[in-house]
Amino acid sequence: MTSLSGFTVQIDQNPYLPVGGRDVSAVVTVTADAEATGGAPPAQDSADGSAEIIIVDCSGSMDFPPEKILAARAATSAAVDVIRDGARFAIVAGTSTAWPVYPTDGSMAVADARTRTEAKRAVAGLRSNGGTAIGQWLRLAHRIFQSHPATLRHAILLTDGKNQHETPEELAAAIGLCEGSFRCDCRGIGTDWVVDELRKISTALLGTVDIVPDPAGLAADFEEMMRGAMSKQLPDVMLRVWTPQQAIVKFVKQVAPAIDDLTGRRSQTGPLAGGPQVGEYPTGAWAPGESRDYHVGVQVNVGAVGQEMLAARVSLVASSPSGQQILGQGLIRATWTEDEALSTRINPGVAHYTGQAELAAAIQDGLEASKQGDEETATAQLGRAVALAHAAGNEDTAKLLAKVVDVVDEATGTVRLKRKVSTADEMALDTRSAKTVRVKKE
Amino acid sequence: MTNPCPACGEPIGPDDGFCEACGAELAPAAVSSGAADGALECPLCAAAGRPPAGVSPEGYCEFCGRKVPSGRDREELNVGPAAGVTDRGLRHARNEDAMALAATRVSGQPVALAVVCDGVSSSPRPDEASLSAVRAAAGSLLSAVRAGDDPAAASAAAVQAAATAVGALASPAGAPAATYASAVVDGTGVTVCWLGDSRVYWLSADLSSSRRLTTDDSLVEELVAAGRATVEEAMASPQAHVITRWLGADLPEPEPHVARFEPPDQGVVLLCSDGLWNYQPAATELAAMALPAALTDPLAAAAALVKFAVDAGGADNITTVLMPFPLAWPETSPRSER
Repeated sequence: MTSLSGFTVQIDQNPYLPVGGRDVSAVVTVTADAEATGGAPPAQDSADGSAEIIIVDCSGSMDFPPEKILAARAATSAAVDVIRDGARFAIVAGTSTAWPVYPTDGSMAVADARTRTEAKRAVAGLRSNGGTAIGQWLRLAHRIFQSHPATLRHAILLTDGKNQHETPEELAAAIGLCEGSFRCDCRGIGTDWVVDELRKISTALLGTVDIVPDPAGLAADFEEMMRGAMSKQLPDVMLRVWTPQQAIVKFVKQVAPAIDDLTGRRSQTGPLAGGPQVGEYPTGAWAPGESRDYHVGVQVNVGAVGQEMLAARVSLVASSPSGQQILGQGLIRATWTEDEALSTRINPGVAHYTGQAELAAAIQDGLEASKQGDEETATAQLGRAVALAHAAGNEDTAKLLAKVVDVVDEATGTVRLKRKVSTADEMALDTRSAKTVRVKKE
Repeated sequence: MTNPCPACGEPIGPDDGFCEACGAELAPAAVSSGAADGALECPLCAAAGRPPAGVSPEGYCEFCGRKVPSGRDREELNVGPAAGVTDRGLRHARNEDAMALAATRVSGQPVALAVVCDGVSSSPRPDEASLSAVRAAAGSLLSAVRAGDDPAAASAAAVQAAATAVGALASPAGAPAATYASAVVDGTGVTVCWLGDSRVYWLSADLSSSRRLTTDDSLVEELVAAGRATVEEAMASPQAHVITRWLGADLPEPEPHVARFEPPDQGVVLLCSDGLWNYQPAATELAAMALPAALTDPLAAAAALVKFAVDAGGADNITTVLMPFPLAWPETSPRSER
């Protein structure tokens, strides 16, 4: 356990490898210090570094039923009320095109009592009419964020429908443009939107995705998201992984609070990334006291019995105008032994998150099979998910599963598909399947 | 024997522990601290002809990630009439044994002393425990010997000094612990003192008179002494290496054993950790390996004993210290050799 100015990094692993063993894996728990990092005072000063954009779907379908557009207006106003004084913000409306609702000149307002009132008045005038081209909305948000050098940029995107008025390629290009520029939490209202579309956005833009089945719940959800965004004080933190020459990083996954595979997002081009031994993975912004778990897998060259090796050094790196700063670090080790009692010992943390990743995969495979009409696979996968959720004590996921299948025996995962499943329940299970529970510590 | 002081060049007397002119300690105890090294470099990368990539603060090569051997992995000390070798062995990641040696003259008579400690692997930071213990004990023992104290009292006081040093390492994370064995060789014999299962042997030039001078504080010896098991049965049990006395904050007032042995003939005193005697516990056999070389070149003989244990499997750290009796003091005594 090492604590440098800002983050505590704890490594949970079994460092012992059998003779000829190459695979090392560890759960890395990263916790931001409870006080503002780097001596930066919170509140006022850091609010200057925050910028928020709320993107509201104003397509024609938001009027069917009209509660949706009403809820969107109310939720946006509620979120505006939570923005801290001094932070920058803007509101964007989207259809098959996108336009700035407030401020109307495409800039960002500084939050205070007057601008909040003006913004809410503008939001009250939102009407729904037109199509859905989410890529256009993201491009406008990106342009508005560029107008101010804020470091903590965050957007909330609300939609009720499918991305119909542009191609998937156009949406992908827009996501690519925004990647690394701002974070985005996505919410789908009703059941006519596509989980995979919003998940692509939220994954690339380091945010969350969820369903809001009932418009009445939207305002509370928006407030919570905005509070969460306002609590972030440390922008653009990267997880840096050093490995020995010729070692292979097999995976880097965030595993708590939710599974997010970062393996493919490795960058080796950062200013301090010193060649193929060092890769960096984006983790977004952090709030004081926030804690996340990562599962890191590395394949190293075989060492001799008794040899100890540093398999990976995991550091948290913050970028600022004055350069990069290492805020915390932990070491993943490997030691070769002939003692099988040591090398075969299963680390509970690693086993837990391996199970949680299997759980998420089983749910997604099961729902996909169910959509394709393959009841046998759906029953098998969702049954396995029930058993895994039960074993891991993931009660939230178990409850969501129980809305989709009738559970006969949760321990063995014996289930029957429900004859009637609400689309909203299926989508809720899909969006929340990546949420994990942490290992119970005694 | 009127060598000049190595610090200031002023002449010094044969009995002086300190220079009368500048106060420098003339023959401080030599300790296997691993600190003698310069910049560390990864030997495996160097052997492969790669440019040095640096070593991280935690001791890993920045290129291949391998743990770079620390100075403590293998160390040889030679203070003239006493010499020792400590080695990581083949199976342990680090060397948790430590030794300290010193030689001086009291009233013209040579006196040599040695301390060997074996860090308890199941305790936290055992390598620090053993090193702190030998350093504190050898310092205390050397001062007492120079002051002309009774060797038995000096030995008991040195254990207290070592216990205090090891106790100071304790933290909420646990109490580091180590075994302890010391020997003071003077003109008439040897005073031994111990806790745990590090041993002192008398290896006689007349091989069959060789004998062990210590009894282990271990479950094995307790079982055997109580007649409840044979040595073979006890050594085969999983508790074979469980010790019943040690240095550490979790055993606040260790009661060391102190014994005096006055050899009737020529031979050598051996101090060793269990990394050696696990492979050969019999005094006669050890004497056959060490003698007669140990009488004239104790360092080479100590290295040979270590090599024997490594070749036999090297399952644990190995430390051997040899002190010939009567003490032989070469004309030019190298203080420390690596």
